[in-house]
Amino acid sequence: MTKEADVKGNVKEILIPDIGDFDAVEVIEILVQAGDTIAVEDSLISVESDKATMEIPAPEAGVVKEVKVALGDNVSEGSVLLLLAPVTGAAAEVTDAEPTALVAEPAPDTVPAKPTPTPAPVKTSPTAKIDEVSFSTAYASPAVRKFARELGVDLGRVDGNGRKGRITREDVQAFVKCTLAQGGGGGLDVAPMPEIDFSQWGEVETQALTKINKLTGQFLHRNWVTVPHVTQFDEADITDLEAFRKSMAAEYKDKGIKITPLVFLMKAVVSALKQYPRFNSSLDASGENFILKQYFNVGIAIDTPGGLVVPVVRDVDRKSLVDLAQELGEISIKARDRKLKPADMQGGCITISSLGGIGGTQFTPIVNAPEVAILGVSRHKMQPVWNGTEFEPRLVLPLSLSYDHRVIDGADGARFTSFLSRVLSDTRRLLL
Amino acid sequence: MSTLIEIKIPDIGDFDSVEVIEILVNVGDTIAEEDSLISVESDKATMEIPAPRAGVVKEILLSLGEQVSQGSPILMLEASDIAADSAPASQGSAPSAPELSAAEPAPAPQADRYNGNVDVSAEVVVLGSGPGGYTAAFRAADLGKKVVLIERYDSIGGVCLNVGCIPSKALLHTAQVINEAAEFGDIGVSFNTPEVDLDKLRGHKDAVVGKLTGGLRQLAKQRKVQIVNGYGRFTSANTIEVAADGNKTVVGFDNAIIAAGSRVTKLPFIPWDDPRVMDSTDALEIQEIPKRLLVVGGGIIGLEMATVYDALGSKVTVVELSPGLIPGADRDVVRPLERRIKKRYENIYLNTKVTAIEPTEAGMLCSFEGPLNGKKGAPENDTFDRVLVAIGRSPNGLLIDADKAGVAVDERGFIAVDKQQRTNVAHIFAIGDVVGQPMLAHKATHEGKVAAQVIAGQKSYFDARTIPSVAYTDPEVAWMGKTEDECKSEGIAYTKGVFPWAASGRSLSLGRDEGMTKLLFGADHRLIGAAMTGPNAGELVAEAVLALEMGADIEDIALSIHPHPTLSETFNFAAEVAEGTCTDIYVPKRVKGKK
Repeated sequence: MTKEADVKGNVKEILIPDIGDFDAVEVIEILVQAGDTIAVEDSLISVESDKATMEIPAPEAGVVKEVKVALGDNVSEGSVLLLLAPVTGAAAEVTDAEPTALVAEPAPDTVPAKPTPTPAPVKTSPTAKIDEVSFSTAYASPAVRKFARELGVDLGRVDGNGRKGRITREDVQAFVKCTLAQGGGGGLDVAPMPEIDFSQWGEVETQALTKINKLTGQFLHRNWVTVPHVTQFDEADITDLEAFRKSMAAEYKDKGIKITPLVFLMKAVVSALKQYPRFNSSLDASGENFILKQYFNVGIAIDTPGGLVVPVVRDVDRKSLVDLAQELGEISIKARDRKLKPADMQGGCITISSLGGIGGTQFTPIVNAPEVAILGVSRHKMQPVWNGTEFEPRLVLPLSLSYDHRVIDGADGARFTSFLSRVLSDTRRLLL
Repeated sequence: MSTLIEIKIPDIGDFDSVEVIEILVNVGDTIAEEDSLISVESDKATMEIPAPRAGVVKEILLSLGEQVSQGSPILMLEASDIAADSAPASQGSAPSAPELSAAEPAPAPQADRYNGNVDVSAEVVVLGSGPGGYTAAFRAADLGKKVVLIERYDSIGGVCLNVGCIPSKALLHTAQVINEAAEFGDIGVSFNTPEVDLDKLRGHKDAVVGKLTGGLRQLAKQRKVQIVNGYGRFTSANTIEVAADGNKTVVGFDNAIIAAGSRVTKLPFIPWDDPRVMDSTDALEIQEIPKRLLVVGGGIIGLEMATVYDALGSKVTVVELSPGLIPGADRDVVRPLERRIKKRYENIYLNTKVTAIEPTEAGMLCSFEGPLNGKKGAPENDTFDRVLVAIGRSPNGLLIDADKAGVAVDERGFIAVDKQQRTNVAHIFAIGDVVGQPMLAHKATHEGKVAAQVIAGQKSYFDARTIPSVAYTDPEVAWMGKTEDECKSEGIAYTKGVFPWAASGRSLSLGRDEGMTKLLFGADHRLIGAAMTGPNAGELVAEAVLALEMGADIEDIALSIHPHPTLSETFNFAAEVAEGTCTDIYVPKRVKGKK
């Protein structure tokens, strides 16, 4: 320990760690304040990207000297989060004992505050879609601003290709063309939703959507509107699978590994993807080609208190059922604790949305574009099944496969679910 | 016994407007209570509006296809008077309108309905012919609209042309000539003390005004814009009544642009009936050259008039309530003016309030309340030959019965508008002083064009990024964009380039060295603010406005060749100073990272 460090009270800067491929994420909650004693892995702050919310854990134990971020700040990897006096035995005790007065005063902006709900949007006007603040600072001349107004273009969203990023008339035209080509919600010529004051019929309460709610909503809306969906229903006889799973589950219980039906589904889906590679593809941006993927990553939709998240399990084809079970367990905990990193939610090939634990007979999931298919799984049920001579009680699992009809034909959809059903009915096929 | 009542659309739920799809009664029909009067259709349902009471239909006030909402009048009903009605019978024929429907108290006033005839009708009526009003009227006419322009005074052009910008500039130029002639004595060219013929000078000023207002009338005529003289007040959302010499003209309109301007703010304790107390309008009349003049208000108007009277020979005292002259501009750009007038004027009292003005035979006895009474600051009281009060202007929004058109006006008289100059009433617009600060002609004209163009169906918006301000004092002070004070208080990072005019050959050859040009650049090096002090600063600031609107940055300005020797060079040099490439002054290298 150098002398200088002593003078400074051995205070360390805690930085934001690698949080994946994000430049700036918003601080939505500050969980510690100056004076708090924290342990390793204690959560310090919550940040929210456009994909997920995550908590940043403490890399070491100590006493918080000063919180360097404020609610609403945008932070990125390397941003100074707080000043920490590490607790490292006797030396730390000395430094701690003396300047107690210093730490007694929490900075006023570190009081953990809930994000205030945003007020209800004001009445829609013709310019409602234009962010006036960013419009007023866009790098564009008066004539280009006038042109943008005529076309109803939000200049704040236009990239300038002129000198030093200046927005030209051509940039505005290109933006309009691009927007029109994309179609999107804007192109739908539907009547606006009427604004209704619900309080006229009784007491109401307005709650803000979480950021995840809002973003999920945007993505789902886009996918619902732009992807031509077909949902194929099917059933799988999982009587044997369940018998096998239960025996395995009992075996691995002591090791703390929970073997769920989901891991079998993941394996079965991957074998179906291998059989029908078009299901493991994405359309490219031009809409002229589709890109076939040579890897097998499966997204799992997880319901969390903050909203829907879809972490991705990588290389499912190269992992054993036990590996997958273990990984799935970790992921669910991370998801519920809001500790998923954005990178954990990228790179999926297909998504499985299982509502089996809750109930229901069938549902029509929305394709998680740019993926082209999503498998919905409902609750299995013991049913009488005709085996040719008599009715037999069999455990039947309902499957709902929604797919992008631009890439997948109806016949292929039915083939895919039939194959899946066969594999699930006879897990030995997974070995093939 | 019967009463004529107006039947209105009752509460029909959460609908702004529903369409009338059927009218079920005719004039002359006798109807019973609960008889259906009309059918309306919303996007959810069709419903019939029942009669709230029995009577005979006298007049139907809406037509098929019209959009109506709660409170819209349906018809006039001569009620068969069953219920005890306290209204005197003699009022029978008058369209008095007891509210039958329970109108909810709304923040915006409910528009009145006008049932009389219209004398003149227009597609666009503009209330007020100041620079904003006439610009709006002419632009609307050029876009093919039938326009009526209402002006309360005989002369069009509003405050700016008649009693503001234009006459004051005529007098200020005179002041400049007098001052320059006197200052030339120091360099060996002496003139005799000027003899001022006030009548002739006033005549010159009036001639300038006359030329411009006459020109405006001509422009109006060429565009077939009809001018209606008189005091206009709204009587409904589609009519304005114009009163002149006991005559009343009712102007009906599809769209209106309120350009009613502002008036001098008058403090109640000031004896306005004494001719020795002047507002800016009176001061421009230069009735006499007072020996000692007190100017109350150290803003642009007060200091411009002080400049005129000082040059004409008055001993001027300026009293200002705030800590500095021309509040709103940065202190460093006001300082050259402050230094010059401190020497020339008798006194400048800052942080000082005028508490009383008493007319006496000797003059106007003024009492002051300031931080340094009796010492260096204002005395407790002093007597002046005349007092000019220039403490600001108040909007005229409350003087035009805008509420009868349903237009919301705040308690100070301002009318709120959106970026298209539209008020809370969709077909009524407002521009100029009446919509807010800054109360400047060039803001009003720009807004006037936006309003006229929006009415003509164009997608115009007020998207200008700055409105420049100029004080035509000596030296002039001009600024635009952000001030340095604003950058500091708003936490905006900026780079500054200042060029002192003491290093400008052109300025020195004018015999002046106190000026400065200051430019402020944002983090992306684009110009965000500029201020100039010195002769002709008001002309120079225009280049800065163009630079800001075009998004010019330090390099753009520094690399544009400016003619030499001119004052405009200082704009170029100030950018070079910010860039560190200026060779006309020596600036020690800026410490990296320092703003």
